[in-house]
Amino acid sequence: MSAVAAVTAAAESYVEKTRRNRLGLWLFFLSEVFMFGGLLAARFYLWRDADGGIVRPELDQQLGLIVTSVLLVSSYFMNRAETAIAHDDRGNFLTGLLVTAFLGIVFLLGVIIFEWGGHIKPSDGVFGAVLFGMTGMHAIHVLTGVIFILIVWYNGRKGHYSAERHWGVEACAIYWHYVDLVWIFFYPALYLIGPAVHG
Amino acid sequence: MNKVKPGIYRLGILILIVLAILTGVEYAVALTIDSTVILFLIAMLKGALVLYYFMHIASLWSEEGGH
Repeated sequence: MSAVAAVTAAAESYVEKTRRNRLGLWLFFLSEVFMFGGLLAARFYLWRDADGGIVRPELDQQLGLIVTSVLLVSSYFMNRAETAIAHDDRGNFLTGLLVTAFLGIVFLLGVIIFEWGGHIKPSDGVFGAVLFGMTGMHAIHVLTGVIFILIVWYNGRKGHYSAERHWGVEACAIYWHYVDLVWIFFYPALYLIGPAVHG
Repeated sequence: MNKVKPGIYRLGILILIVLAILTGVEYAVALTIDSTVILFLIAMLKGALVLYYFMHIASLWSEEGGH
């Protein structure tokens, strides 16, 4: 086999491997949809008033808007990091990852300090159980996402990725956007839909 | 050092702006008309934008390895 043929075969094998990895990642997301979907269904089934109308516990709506905005901006910086490595812009790649991780930590702190430190406790009946179930499960995913980003950043600093080969970055980016996607549905379900009742 | 093409980040900024506007609309809808259907539709639209532009869902069916 000539050197050119060997390089072409290696590139094709990487493309094929990436395609399979991508499918595997999306199947993992599909399995997670059932879990997050179950939590969402629990929210709409259990948070009802005596007449069966949809209600929600009294949460700080401004805090909800702030943490949602933080997560949205973090998604942009993750996308920026991924676009940067695809164009061999290493400076923006590494900076984008760090900003994303920082915003992820800000989101986590917002939920843990202000939301979990509020008047609703996990033991407060269906309101507390569902609220902490939803935000807790999501927060674990944010935490693992931040760890994933920092690992990719560390590898990126050591020059592990290139414009042609950056599946690790792509997987990390898609995972982070998935975490954002879940929150896109959790945010109105927790903070906006239905009248607030004193939980 | 290779030169980075200008404008490669423009699409990301545009999507961020649209998502921010939709989030603002969502908040305003909740405070004014409080319609579950409209809030759900806005969330679906935001989700579709993230799935298509940020998560590159279309690349699942593409023949190329990249996104």
